[in-house]
Amino acid sequence: MVALLRTGKRPWVEYAELVEEKRSAGSVLEEEFAGRAAPPYQTTLLDPPAPTPGELLTEARADLDRWSASGMNLVTVLEPDYPPNLRAVHDRPPMVFVAGRLTPGDARGVAVVGARKATPAGIERAGAVARHLVDSGFTVVSGLAAGIDTAAHTAALARGGRTVAVIGTGLARSYPAQNQALQRRIASECAVISQFWPDSPPSRRSFPMRNAVMSGITLATVVIEASDTSGARMQARLALAQGRPVFLLASLVERQPWARDYAGRPGTHVVRSAGEITTVVERLISPGSLVA
Amino acid sequence: MPSVRELSALYENVMLSPRRGPSVCGTCFNFTDGYTRCYACDHGRLVLDAMAPISYSVAREQLHHALASYKRLDGDVARRLGASLAAILWRFLSEHERCLAQAAGTAGFELVTTVPSGDAIRDQRHPLPWIVGELAAPTRDRYQRLLRRSDATVEPRVFSPEKFVVTAPIEGRSVLLIDDTWTTGASAQSAAAALKAAGASATAAVVIGRHLNREWHENDRRIRGIARPFDWSRCALCAPPTVAEPTGPDPPGA
Repeated sequence: MVALLRTGKRPWVEYAELVEEKRSAGSVLEEEFAGRAAPPYQTTLLDPPAPTPGELLTEARADLDRWSASGMNLVTVLEPDYPPNLRAVHDRPPMVFVAGRLTPGDARGVAVVGARKATPAGIERAGAVARHLVDSGFTVVSGLAAGIDTAAHTAALARGGRTVAVIGTGLARSYPAQNQALQRRIASECAVISQFWPDSPPSRRSFPMRNAVMSGITLATVVIEASDTSGARMQARLALAQGRPVFLLASLVERQPWARDYAGRPGTHVVRSAGEITTVVERLISPGSLVA
Repeated sequence: MPSVRELSALYENVMLSPRRGPSVCGTCFNFTDGYTRCYACDHGRLVLDAMAPISYSVAREQLHHALASYKRLDGDVARRLGASLAAILWRFLSEHERCLAQAAGTAGFELVTTVPSGDAIRDQRHPLPWIVGELAAPTRDRYQRLLRRSDATVEPRVFSPEKFVVTAPIEGRSVLLIDDTWTTGASAQSAAAALKAAGASATAAVVIGRHLNREWHENDRRIRGIARPFDWSRCALCAPPTVAEPTGPDPPGA
């Protein structure tokens, strides 16, 4: 899979689709190179020749050993421990890196997201939602950013619950730098996930991509406090586009016009208490029959 | 337990209403370049008396992924996808089965069945009969497995009246066929041909997703022109035709 993605011929989602269809990354890699044998003459003046599948595989094996020695494990969409909820969304990445350990119970995850520049009231609300989720047997998932994300992770840990961070950089980096200790703690007690190469820096594009994965691994997204340019708003949009429910706190809807617009959309719930969130989520995922 | 309304609402943001109109195939609602039938319907056999796609399903987007994944995955995730698709089917049929009956020239459908998978082994553990025969209230009491894939060698996506064998007496009965996806229609039309040959009085099909590729010709622009969110009050058959192709800015949430 690493070798295949390094060929860089298609968007990653397309590779996820192809690999799921063929049930093998190796055969997709072979097909990508089939009929493209190198011409017997030099085609460019200065560029080194493109690597062969064999060279890509050798390099990938060395990288995998190196990453796993630093506690970063690669999980591809072909493996049983790929996050199950993430399989069901159209914009799933073909692989994720995991530092720490995901448990089967983490499939009962709810994302708690919001602004980096949070108010004291927002921090308190994020903590209350996270504590209630822990008490109800859910894993609290967030993005390890400053503000609301940090409050949600910290409250879940303090309550003795599970919390998973989905980050917008590679696992070898921390953004913001002051959350490095928290990132290390979550990795050692729970799990930190990234869909990016381990050394990837934060970028404009990486954060919305991360929001799709955070929504994808969870059953629902809760937005605590967020402006209209925030990643949290982006995540609400991406969650609805994945057919996943979105919860907006009533205090957010009162203050933010974007949240009022979203409140009217199908799949969105405006809530005044954390209890309402778990009641709806439990009902949506309960097995058995449906009622009219 | 979840309600049909709340489960189906989750997919309203990604569902796209098919509508009659210029450059829309009169049989399967595919987009065309000005023709009244798409290439596949024009070159295939049209046996079904009526057909209604609930939504368009765009390649690599969420509904398409759900329609592929509910039969590929297992465990809770597959079960939840199946429940969502059952809710979509339930809500649609409770409001629009009568539109199909009217279009097919019958008072109603006495029997409901599913189009078997092209692959006999895969068909054994296919979740569509569970959705139609157990989960969805409008269909479960009338559901029977009426068709089985024959041993005849038939290419995929090619019409053949020999592709399916009818396994129960259906002489004079009207049959509603259900499938997850319509791509060329070859499977559903082949199933209808087998049912008609066995004496069915009327056959109609409901599919959850009519497959589209955004990359084909003007499809991207036309898909972006579809009003959102999804409108349950009208179906492909009972909605007034679109007069002109809508243009304008992207709808919210696009």
